[in-house]
Amino acid sequence: MSRTESKNRTADMSNRNPFLNRVAESLGRPRRTDDVTRPDWKHTVHLDTLADSTPEQLVEVLKEQCFFIHTQVIESTPQLLQATLDDLIDSYGGGSVIRSGDPRFSQYDLSFHNDFAWSADAAREENIRRAEAANVAIVFADYALAESGTVVLESRPDQGRALHFLPAHYIAVIERDRIVPRSTQAMAELNRRYEKGETLGSCLNLISGPSNSADIEMQLVVGVHGPLKATYVLI
Amino acid sequence: MSLKTDDRKFDARTAAGIGDAFMRGAVGSAQDSLKTRRLTAATALGDWEQWRELGQQIRQHTLENLDYYLGQMADNVERRGGHVFFARTKEEASAYIRDVVQSKNARKVVKSKSMVTEEIEMNHVLMEAGCEVIESDLGEYILQEDDWDPPSHIVAPALHKNRKQIRDVFASKLSYAGDETPEHLARFARDILREKFLEAEIGITGCNFAVANLGAINLVTNEGNGDLTAALPKTHIAVMGMERIVPTLEEMEVLDNLLCRSAVGQKLTSYITVMGPREPGEVDGPEEFHLVIVDNGRSEILASEFHEALQCIRCGACLNVCPVYRHIGGHAYGSIYPGPIGAVITPLLGGYDDYKELPYASSLCGACTDVCPVKIPLHEQLVMHRQNIVSQGRTGVADRVQMKAASKLLSSPGMFRSTLRVAYSMTRLLSRHGRIVRGPGPIEGWIGIRDMPQPVKKQDGFRSWYENRERVERADAFDAPLKDIRKNGLSAKSDANAAVLPKAEPGRDSSVEEAAAPIGKEGR
Repeated sequence: MSRTESKNRTADMSNRNPFLNRVAESLGRPRRTDDVTRPDWKHTVHLDTLADSTPEQLVEVLKEQCFFIHTQVIESTPQLLQATLDDLIDSYGGGSVIRSGDPRFSQYDLSFHNDFAWSADAAREENIRRAEAANVAIVFADYALAESGTVVLESRPDQGRALHFLPAHYIAVIERDRIVPRSTQAMAELNRRYEKGETLGSCLNLISGPSNSADIEMQLVVGVHGPLKATYVLI
Repeated sequence: MSLKTDDRKFDARTAAGIGDAFMRGAVGSAQDSLKTRRLTAATALGDWEQWRELGQQIRQHTLENLDYYLGQMADNVERRGGHVFFARTKEEASAYIRDVVQSKNARKVVKSKSMVTEEIEMNHVLMEAGCEVIESDLGEYILQEDDWDPPSHIVAPALHKNRKQIRDVFASKLSYAGDETPEHLARFARDILREKFLEAEIGITGCNFAVANLGAINLVTNEGNGDLTAALPKTHIAVMGMERIVPTLEEMEVLDNLLCRSAVGQKLTSYITVMGPREPGEVDGPEEFHLVIVDNGRSEILASEFHEALQCIRCGACLNVCPVYRHIGGHAYGSIYPGPIGAVITPLLGGYDDYKELPYASSLCGACTDVCPVKIPLHEQLVMHRQNIVSQGRTGVADRVQMKAASKLLSSPGMFRSTLRVAYSMTRLLSRHGRIVRGPGPIEGWIGIRDMPQPVKKQDGFRSWYENRERVERADAFDAPLKDIRKNGLSAKSDANAAVLPKAEPGRDSSVEEAAAPIGKEGR
């Protein structure tokens, strides 16, 4: 069976052609399969917001926003990072730590008692079991978004999805030069990398503080299914 | 749950809503808080109107090229090893999902909040096939434990329940022994649901936006349940309404910003995730990924004059400003989609036979249209529905007779003037404190839910005041156009309401108490 035939067969099984033909019919024109180019968007408000802020101003914006999203911000330095993280783990009651396998942990010469690094060398179940048992998760942000107080992280073999959600406490280390004004810049950069042919992780997480819910009488409860508390450490 | 949540008639549903004092209080304060938070978040951007126009343009461009973007999405999901199924009907969608679940011999399904899975009655189908289906969103979980009580708001589904009711549900169904503090209730649910996440074989989520060039889906949540649902089980099934798609991450970002600010007044919610089939080498995430794209009536909407309704991003801002939703509550709409957007799309998805009253559950004040982040002309669409309902002859005999009488009266200046002359004396016995409170037959239905001022005596009317007013110099010159108007009877329209009433038969006993009876009473 040729590749086209196989593709058509899959398309038939998935109902794709009759479905999309019907959509085209509803739009009153023939089916559109050639490349559609995005129009010039009429406004640039998303690009302009906070765009002319200095790095120092962005740090201030980030810190202020973190107050509103119940997230502690600690300013540290590469030299003090180990001590800062140790103190934080203590303040969260110690216990086991799970971290990503990010190379920056060794770059900053970090190590923790009773820790486990997420790793493709261990089985899926083992990684998940460790994350579920961990009191604290520690990760390095790929980007941080000042406006919304967000860390952006991509899934990789050494950084799984559940790592961000199962532990009770969540610590993200943010290198100051990774702070961008808002989601616009981070998403544009990821899209640019992808369109240049780079493979992105199967999961992009934009995380803004601890989990929360207002489902009971609209009263905010911080800490629902994901972490109960979150801290960002700036270096 | 299906689109339809209640088999009672519209009048009975609204009467139940209005009679529920707790619910009305809860909805009122939720509206006030969400309204303020949305406004603050929108104003903080400084140029909200431009954001809305941008959101509208993105949605319109995507919908105009929907076949292209859906094809691109399907190609990319399949290229990454995922499966795509296009479901024309809700039956096809839920049957496909059931088949996937059965092919895995799975019994334990955990899901995160998704309106479209309600629409396709997926839970029902899966439970019938012998699966345990667990809603993991806190609000939805509460409703599930309360014997699948329907949601009453698209963002805060358990809005109509208070903490005591929730405590009682947990106590009777789950042997909860704690108090009614929301933190304690939430922590209790966390512990139970954590187990469910870890043991689930299948995770089912909705999809806020599909990102076409990436072949990934975007979820916007606060609790973290959506992410656990997609990360832990070995099979992830995502279900999307076919209109919920964007070209790239760049447009997704704009719409997520509009969604978070409009829905809950947050800059971004705690968790915004873009996820697709697991990449080689990654440890967790689904080993098998299925995307189910649902039409279920949407292509008819796309072809109709209501196509702009498909721009909706399900933020619920229109519910939060609606004065009618405030009083009747979400359940009165009888649909999983309540509020102004529900009154527009429910009749389109479920038909006028069941939902012809919904377009009338609006004061047409337009507050919904003003807050819509993607500029759907909601109140204009409600008027379009009303036009359809009238032209299809779906209004009652009484309505048609009244409208016919009114049009006859209003199109004849002579008849209108003579009616006006006797209006006061004819309605005197029907009125109290300047309001008409009683009327015969169908008219009573009309004034039962509206304040109708009593017509004034002829000598107190605007026209006689105008003719007898103190005149400035050169009054004749000003008076000339008025004579034209008088001759053509144009100004008659402003008194349209009053003109219907003189046909009333006077003499029935009436009282202020009756007039003040709760609106929408049953069997009126």
